[in-house]
Amino acid sequence: MRTIGFMQAMNEALQEEMRRDPSVYVLGLGVHYSGTHPSVTAGLIDEFGAARVRSTPVSEAAVAGSCVGAALAGMRPVAQFSLADFVFCALDEILCKAGKWRYTHGAEGGMSLPIVFLETIGGYVSAASEHSQSPLALYAHAPGLKIAVPTTPYNAKGLLKTAIRDNNPVVFFPHKRLMGAQGPVPEEDYTVPFGQAEVRREGRDVTVVATSYMVTLALEAASKLEEQGVDTEVIDPLTLEPLDTERIVESVRKTGRRVVVDEDTERCGVGAEIGMQVVERAFDALKAPIQRVSNPNLPVPYSRPLEQAVLPSREKIEKAIQQTLAA
Amino acid sequence: MEPASEQLLEIYTNMVRSRAFEELVISIMPKGKIPAGWMSGVGQEGIVGALSGLREDDYVTYTHRGAYYFLCRGSDPGRILAELYGKRTGYCGGKGGRHLADTKHRLFGKSGTIGGHAPIAVGLATAVQIRGEDSVVMSFFGDGTSNRGTTHESMNLTSVWKLPLIWVCENNGWAGLTPSSMSTAYTDVADLAEAYSIPGRIVDGNDVLEVHEATREAVARARAGAGPSLIELKTYRIREFAEGGWFPTGYRDPEEVEAWKKRDPIERFRAVLLSRGVLTAGQVEEIQQKAVEEMQVAQKFADESEFPPVEDAFTDLYA
Repeated sequence: MRTIGFMQAMNEALQEEMRRDPSVYVLGLGVHYSGTHPSVTAGLIDEFGAARVRSTPVSEAAVAGSCVGAALAGMRPVAQFSLADFVFCALDEILCKAGKWRYTHGAEGGMSLPIVFLETIGGYVSAASEHSQSPLALYAHAPGLKIAVPTTPYNAKGLLKTAIRDNNPVVFFPHKRLMGAQGPVPEEDYTVPFGQAEVRREGRDVTVVATSYMVTLALEAASKLEEQGVDTEVIDPLTLEPLDTERIVESVRKTGRRVVVDEDTERCGVGAEIGMQVVERAFDALKAPIQRVSNPNLPVPYSRPLEQAVLPSREKIEKAIQQTLAA
Repeated sequence: MEPASEQLLEIYTNMVRSRAFEELVISIMPKGKIPAGWMSGVGQEGIVGALSGLREDDYVTYTHRGAYYFLCRGSDPGRILAELYGKRTGYCGGKGGRHLADTKHRLFGKSGTIGGHAPIAVGLATAVQIRGEDSVVMSFFGDGTSNRGTTHESMNLTSVWKLPLIWVCENNGWAGLTPSSMSTAYTDVADLAEAYSIPGRIVDGNDVLEVHEATREAVARARAGAGPSLIELKTYRIREFAEGGWFPTGYRDPEEVEAWKKRDPIERFRAVLLSRGVLTAGQVEEIQQKAVEEMQVAQKFADESEFPPVEDAFTDLYA
């Protein structure tokens, strides 16, 4: 199988879906320019023209809300927002309109809102507090949205195609540190389904559930601990709504120990939710308290050593695994 | 060009129906059947002149005030009222209430946030443009909403993309309890048009014919692909911000309200039609009577409708 980059994988998903369905279009800052660096939207304008590849002003609310309007009129917009941090300016449009209008207004007439919001998340690039956030829990907290968190070029392409074909609003979160990743991606058409977690590494001693770039760190920690004879299972949920709780609970029933790694601030975060789901469904299987590795509710600082102190790391994950094993 | 007599009568009839609906809601409010507030459009029926220039395949986004948008587009007042009651037969199955929608008539929902409609209107017009259709979008907003960033972002974007959209500002001078003088740097909302390089025009919002003529021109322009326009209707809300007794009163000068009552858009238009012989005194009576009867039927329908079963609370989140 050929090897391609994460951004090329997303780019191919957009290109193939735009060919497949004329109602798909993309919009965002600078999407008209293919540029000299790899990008998710490179080359689309040459094939699809300016009507379906629309560069926008710095107007996040208008862009996100326009996706809602276009979707109401039968289109399938894909909004490229670059950083998730910027999208806080458009949360009324995404949380209250995209997420709630079908339920509130669409009881008849089959209202659907097929929209993809692309929001790049994550720290580890010295970008400071307003360019480093991973606000997964914020979206997971709101009704009506689906949430995809790709981790490899393969699942990035497959999940993005699923997102574009879905009749609901999907928030799609690539991670800055994964955008340069390379990996095997087939040439033929395929999709990756929502709601099916991927077991990235099988193990018997402890289950680590990790999201986004945290999967990479968790796999590194698992390799390191293998030298000490610890057999770690790493689960990548891929989507947080729908969430494959069954697969997570099944793993905990096998290992009896759980660590959740999530880059977002810890309080009321994805780790809290996944932890509670396990407590509600498999409390009897737990041999030790669940451990969380997350940002301890701090803004992400700029300086390298400070940033590392705040965000999860391979070492912190190793420590959490050892703690749950020692308990 | 003056509309034909038939269209003049239709405009008048829809103004009377809109007022009759408002009066019905006002009469029902003290009975507690509507569990929340309603923002009355009494005095702003000149808007009917803008709506009457649209085709069925056009789109409308609308403010939180008034039922004219719905009644002009062909919605059933019984189903509107049923929605306000929270009944299953309402347009949103009781889930939207006053945040009304009627998807069949391309009325997709009242935004719970002031200014939430503007970006949605942009998207509706974008869809039309991408598909190469000749529908237009008419997006209503208030002077208060002109203070929202979404309004400015959206006006800019419609101009940059030359979208088929008509911005119609219903300037009633008040944003809740706050007069424009305390909130708005510009006297005329239409002045924004210059900043966004689109045509702007001010009209007497209580002169329904002037409203009709101005918006018809803007609609024709949008339909021809020449881009958006902004029309400001100077009008006034006669009632308080909301019906239902929970909103403060006494913040306006009663003389101001009385002065505007004398400029009632329906009375003014009736006088014009009578003087021109388009309308007879008999017809005035007949149109009024029919509107009242229509609202009685609506009330009966809403009263007799069932509340939704509780299971409905758990459906329709995802498509």
